[in-house]
Amino acid sequence: MSPFNLAAINFVWLPILPMVIVAIAAIVVLLAGVRIDDGESEGLGLVTLASLGVAFVFTLGIVGQYGIAFAGAISIDSFSAFFQLVILIAAMFTVMMSLDYAAENRIPGAEYYSLLLFSALGMMLMASAGDLIVIFLGLETMSIPVYVLAGMMRRNAKSNEAAIKYFLLGAFSTGFLLYGIALVYGATGTIKLGPIHDALASGSLSSNPLLLLGMGLMVIGFGFKVAAVPFHMWTPDVYEGAPTPVTAFMAVGVKLAAFAAFLRVFMVDFSSVGAHWQTVLWVVAVLTMTGGNVIAVVQTNIKRMLAYSAIAHAGYLLLGMAAGVRSGPAILYYLLGYAFTNLGAFGVVIALERRGETGNMITDFRGLAARQPLLAGAMAIFLLSLAGVPPLAGFVGKFYIFSMALQQGYVWLVIIATINSVVSAYYYFYVLVAMYMQEGGIEVERLSSRPALVAAIGLAAFATILIGVYPAPYMTSAANAFHSASGAEGIHTAAAFDP
Amino acid sequence: MNGGLLTALIFLPLVGALFILMQSEERAIWNSAFIFSLLPLALSFYVLYEFNPQQADYQFVEQYDWIPAFGITYHIGIDGISLFLVLLTTILITLSILYSGGGDIEERPREFCFFMLILETGLLGTLLSIDLFLFYAFWEVMLIPMYFLIGIWGHGRKIYSAIKFVLFTMFGSFLMLVAILYLVYQAHVHFNRTSFDLPLLYQVPLTVNEARWLFAAFALAFAIKVPMWPVHTWLPDAHTNAPTAGSVILAGVMLKMGTYGFLRFAIPLFPGVAVEAIPLFMALAVIGIIYGALVAMVQPDLKRVIAYSSVSHLGFVMLGIFALNPVGIDGAIYQMLGHGISTGGLFLLIGMLYMRRHTREISEFGGLWKSVPVYAAIFMIVMLSSMGLPGLNGFVGEFLIMLGGFIRLRLATVFAVAGVVLGALYLLWTYERVMFGPITKAVNETISDLTAREIAVMVPLIALMLFMGFFPRPLISRMEPSVTAMLARANFAQAHLELERQPNRIAILPPSTREPVIAAAAR
Amino acid sequence: MTVQFPALALILLFPALGVVFNLFFGARSGRGAVNIVGPGVMFAAFGVATWAFLTLLRMPPGGALVTHLWGWIEAGPFHADLGLRVDALSGVMVMIVTGVGALIHLYSVGYMAHDEDFARFFTYMNLFALSMLILVLADNLLMMFIGWEGVGLCSYLLISFWYTNPQFAYNGRKAFVVTRIGDAGFLLGIFTIVATLGAHGVWTVNFVELRNNAALLGPAAATAACFLLFIGATGKSAQIPLYVWLPDAMVGPTPVSALIHAATMVTAGVYMIARLGFMFTMAPGTLDLVATIGAMTALFAASIALVQPDIKKVLAYSTISQLGYMFLGVGSGAYASGIFHVMTHAFFKGLLFLCAGSVMHALGGEQDMNKMGGLRKKIPITFWTMFIATLAISAIFPFSGYFSKDLILDSAYESGHFWLWLIGVVTAGLTSFYMFRLIFMTFFGESRVDPDKVPHIHESPAVMTIPLIVLAILATVGGWVNIPDQLLWGDTFVRFLAPAVGNFKPVVEASSFDLSLLAIGASLIGVVLAWILYIRLPGIPFLLAWRLKPAYDLLLNKYYIDEVYNFIVTRPLFWVSSNVFRDGIDGFVIDGTAEGAGLAVQTSGEVARRAETGNVQHYAFVYLLGALGVVGYYLFLVTGR
Repeated sequence: MSPFNLAAINFVWLPILPMVIVAIAAIVVLLAGVRIDDGESEGLGLVTLASLGVAFVFTLGIVGQYGIAFAGAISIDSFSAFFQLVILIAAMFTVMMSLDYAAENRIPGAEYYSLLLFSALGMMLMASAGDLIVIFLGLETMSIPVYVLAGMMRRNAKSNEAAIKYFLLGAFSTGFLLYGIALVYGATGTIKLGPIHDALASGSLSSNPLLLLGMGLMVIGFGFKVAAVPFHMWTPDVYEGAPTPVTAFMAVGVKLAAFAAFLRVFMVDFSSVGAHWQTVLWVVAVLTMTGGNVIAVVQTNIKRMLAYSAIAHAGYLLLGMAAGVRSGPAILYYLLGYAFTNLGAFGVVIALERRGETGNMITDFRGLAARQPLLAGAMAIFLLSLAGVPPLAGFVGKFYIFSMALQQGYVWLVIIATINSVVSAYYYFYVLVAMYMQEGGIEVERLSSRPALVAAIGLAAFATILIGVYPAPYMTSAANAFHSASGAEGIHTAAAFDP
Repeated sequence: MNGGLLTALIFLPLVGALFILMQSEERAIWNSAFIFSLLPLALSFYVLYEFNPQQADYQFVEQYDWIPAFGITYHIGIDGISLFLVLLTTILITLSILYSGGGDIEERPREFCFFMLILETGLLGTLLSIDLFLFYAFWEVMLIPMYFLIGIWGHGRKIYSAIKFVLFTMFGSFLMLVAILYLVYQAHVHFNRTSFDLPLLYQVPLTVNEARWLFAAFALAFAIKVPMWPVHTWLPDAHTNAPTAGSVILAGVMLKMGTYGFLRFAIPLFPGVAVEAIPLFMALAVIGIIYGALVAMVQPDLKRVIAYSSVSHLGFVMLGIFALNPVGIDGAIYQMLGHGISTGGLFLLIGMLYMRRHTREISEFGGLWKSVPVYAAIFMIVMLSSMGLPGLNGFVGEFLIMLGGFIRLRLATVFAVAGVVLGALYLLWTYERVMFGPITKAVNETISDLTAREIAVMVPLIALMLFMGFFPRPLISRMEPSVTAMLARANFAQAHLELERQPNRIAILPPSTREPVIAAAAR
Repeated sequence: MTVQFPALALILLFPALGVVFNLFFGARSGRGAVNIVGPGVMFAAFGVATWAFLTLLRMPPGGALVTHLWGWIEAGPFHADLGLRVDALSGVMVMIVTGVGALIHLYSVGYMAHDEDFARFFTYMNLFALSMLILVLADNLLMMFIGWEGVGLCSYLLISFWYTNPQFAYNGRKAFVVTRIGDAGFLLGIFTIVATLGAHGVWTVNFVELRNNAALLGPAAATAACFLLFIGATGKSAQIPLYVWLPDAMVGPTPVSALIHAATMVTAGVYMIARLGFMFTMAPGTLDLVATIGAMTALFAASIALVQPDIKKVLAYSTISQLGYMFLGVGSGAYASGIFHVMTHAFFKGLLFLCAGSVMHALGGEQDMNKMGGLRKKIPITFWTMFIATLAISAIFPFSGYFSKDLILDSAYESGHFWLWLIGVVTAGLTSFYMFRLIFMTFFGESRVDPDKVPHIHESPAVMTIPLIVLAILATVGGWVNIPDQLLWGDTFVRFLAPAVGNFKPVVEASSFDLSLLAIGASLIGVVLAWILYIRLPGIPFLLAWRLKPAYDLLLNKYYIDEVYNFIVTRPLFWVSSNVFRDGIDGFVIDGTAEGAGLAVQTSGEVARRAETGNVQHYAFVYLLGALGVVGYYLFLVTGR
């Protein structure tokens, strides 16, 4: 499916061309933007968008290719491609939603967009990392700009608070991750993922204390990034405080990247010692699902509510991981649907926001259906998808993950998850109540003058339906991607239950 | 053969819904909604006309790949069990829209018609799906529009009722989803073929324990929908606070999805367990019959009376289903139709009264016969059919159900007949307080009698009541083959149960077989 | 031999047309049309019925006319068709129903002349006739049940005809619900029969097939089935313990009381038992119960009738009492005797009610006999006809009642029920007493009518009196069709019915002559007593009422049975439903659980939210706890082995 065959040109760093493009774009935007007034940052935004688009096109070229670059520091496979594509999509949507938002809120455009690009670069790096150091590198490259982005609204106390909290705890957790990496290195004597995999596969290390502790610490480190209970405490505050497009970017991009690395390390390379981490993830998954959903029920602020919902969804994904390797494709598919759904939801939140007071209360959504039927309809689609109502992406994702978990014998985990889904239905449907069955709320301003935002929402809604109604191709590509990471070559069909 | 017929039937309303979104002028909305409800109605009658009464297996079958990874196919068809429920759906939807256009729904007609038609798609899809994934998708889809109908156009504690309705149902259906997935995996294990296709899943060999758990999950989901005692309490609230059309569809069709689920899925999938569970479910059914009737008797609100009467009537249906003999199940299906028509009619009538007086408190009425004789007369007939008076639709179903139940488990029917007496008691008492006696409230003297439109809504229903009362044979004869085929499995399982208690393995066939499972089971 | 006789359908068709006409066009097309159509269809049906009956008479004994309408229910092996059958038994019944029915319809034209709801009235009346004819003509048990329920409905509709009076509406409902209790038994009876025969591979409800396969039933099932069916009969025919609705039913228009609650519907139970006689004969236990209940009801109701002041109430309890006789008859195994009494009773009791109606008509609706008296001269036709009817019901030779009651008592005695026979005789005495009390209080002595009503007292119009005269003739000669067998043409009626209901086989031999002497004696004593108390020494009744106050009140208040039922059944039922089920289980337990679960989630959410202090140190602390947990787990793994 590659538009032009890059493999023909034997050019060693060509596979990282997309990242290079993004990096260059970041610098260009930064330099070009210094003289541009905060009010007119749309231009920069469009440049960013364009560059991301170019990167996207080039990334398509990687699909189906297989190999390693830079002495194994970068692994070239559909896994990376898959995540890079989705990350780029997330970034593009973020930009589309930011164009008007950034200008209106007087966010310094140059810094904003370049930081966005830099963190996207970090995410892509994480997704395609071939060794633990690069993962760490990517993680930092992703996180530091996000810390800043979270505090981008300088005059907004909440925003600053969010930034500082995120930064402190982030630094805190990075320590755990780095230490974990060190221990694993100590145990295996290598930081390269392939060799680690082989070393563990031999089985001699399976009860090596260094390795076990290292795994534990890495679980903690990743757990923070994917916002797993009990490492989630930062999430609501940061999501609420950060500029909403950044929140969207965090909820989707960061999660994607973190899971990309998390999956590659654990479900591929640590797969042979799965017994040692699946139990932990079992517990973490249950905590995360339940905690996220239960607390989400009592939220009054839509951004906090979506934050907890994001935590809950991380729980479903962790459920997949806890269930074992075979859930891999399901997790990838789930992430795909999740990305569009959440981006769309946050897009609607942005649409309701206004200079001065933010329309972030669920009560602000009251009567939206009467005033903005289409906007409300889109929001309804996103919420129903999040709640797991067929035939939307969210449902098929849950269906995929649950069936995989069941197949691997985790019946109770799945039952807990389904009961959680019932709980989640309550708060998702409550927003529907506000939109469709109550009066009041706030006016939505100048929707027509924000074509990019509208387009983003529309596209997200369309994708949410499409991925749900016609999931076959996406399942296939998810399966390809995952299996390509685990070393198996060639095209895989997403066989539901491989032996 | 008639390719795409059922697909058209399912998705025409959806097309209509989208078409209506583009309408703006109110008349146009109502008219197009009505027309788009007439098309499926016509189609369903064409299906009835083309339906082959002798054939037990699905007819008008369509099957296309959908999600090959899971062997999920778009597989739909119709048989004797679903045939008349489909007709019931199309008829009631049309009448509800016709009625609602007459002033019952004033604000946001566009969304209303939109949701009504989406609902129709969901209901028809649920009835026609042969693929379990497809079925589950439609099963969930039909919740959402009903949720909006209750929540937006309802009365009283509408939001509470809407949420209660959704959560009760979802709780059951999510567990059912788990069961489905487990079942499909077992199919994969035993046949090395992943598929959600019902005929294949019918043959999945399960250990007794697996079967029991899976049956429990299915049964819970369906029991909530029916609703069986004691998971029925969402129903009175939903019914009472829903708009008239909502109550009509809810009582008329949606409840039947639960009983239909038992007939199509829970019992044929796990016949062995179903046979074991007969006493339990008959007991619950009988409790429902008597309990529902007694509680209906002491309701102050007209709609609540009817809501609880539904609990009682659906108890009869469950009794007939778990009689697990042709007589009982024919009766059960017949009662589903009968209840749909008579209770639908009652809700329409109450709606008409509510439009005039904006209250449903029984104590607000009295002596209405003087002021609205036509209304009172029609109410009388519909009430009698709901009471199961011979000569009207209700009797045939109730009689067969009780006869079937009597043959299966005498004691159950001995208690069930109490429902017949109590049914007369609470309905007549309600009628008496509303229609008879002197006019106590001055307003009741001046309320206007039925309009031509309203009569036009009721006449088809009354015609159906009489027809179903005197000519049940043409209907039952079309159900019979599918029912007996379904029962062949149950009896087979029962025989097995008696032979060796475990593991109850049922007719394992080569997975690829497409011929009716029943034949296999019967061997 | 059975003959296809499609014309039977017409007997149903005519009343059906009447219903349709009166329902849709009655009010519009005016009184004249309704007055013609309403009774007209009945006379038409009567014509066809007569035609059919004559055809039947011309056939050899045991013949029957049948016609098959259409296959009704077919489910699994079970099937029930709609078919009509006229044999000796249903022939007699159909003649009664159409004949007496037509007369009463005619009478109604006059009686309802001042009611603006005449169209609705005749709709109901025709609908009743239709249902009753379905009941009688049905060739199978299930179709009979259609009519069985249909007449119940019409009875409900007609009792509460003047619905604006809440009491009337209540009585209507009471009648329907109480009889429906019986119907539940009826249904169970059908189930028992069908299921038991079905177990032998015979799936039918058709009377003929039932009779042919009755042997398969076996005594146990037969006893059970007959018992359950008899429960149905006690409801419909107002026997202990379900008789309570009939007295209250008197609030309906008087022609309704005459037609439904005297002549036809209430005898349905007797007809049903006679129809299934072959089965009841297999169940001697049940049969004895029928006889016992019949006799007890006869005595019980008669005792209440002694003191009732309301003319229609007296007739109501007398009806219950007479029905008791009929059950005594069929219960003794002499089904023909029961049917014979059904016929004569239809004549004289129908007549009595119509006369009572005529009296009320004359007195502007007055029903209290204490406000009557001395009407003999003012309304002579009514008086004479009513007097004849009274002689008939008091079983005075040679009036019809004598023959039928005599036959019943004979069979009771000869079937070995000595005590029941004795009760019958005593009751005969009571009957003649309260009936003559009625006559004396109404027509003799000096007038106690409200002065303002006196000038309006008038004899009823011809349209009302003609039916009276016709019925009076029938009440007189109606019994002659079956005189004691030794004499003249003998027991023609019994022999005519025998093929349909079987022969009565006496177990005790007795000279029916002596027996009837005793019965007549009892009746005469009753007459004399009544004459003494209400003509000769009119002060005594009050004296007795005062002296025996407790007994008097007990009777006057009908043994307080209604109150007892209300106290032990109705009240508890409502209390439990509202307090335990509605508020307790539904409101508290079930919803409580559901909402409790929701609340639990809410509160735990609130609690957990507290942790979100916004204070970053706390976050770090929680984080550390989690980290410790994970690390601890791995340390355990490491050290654990």
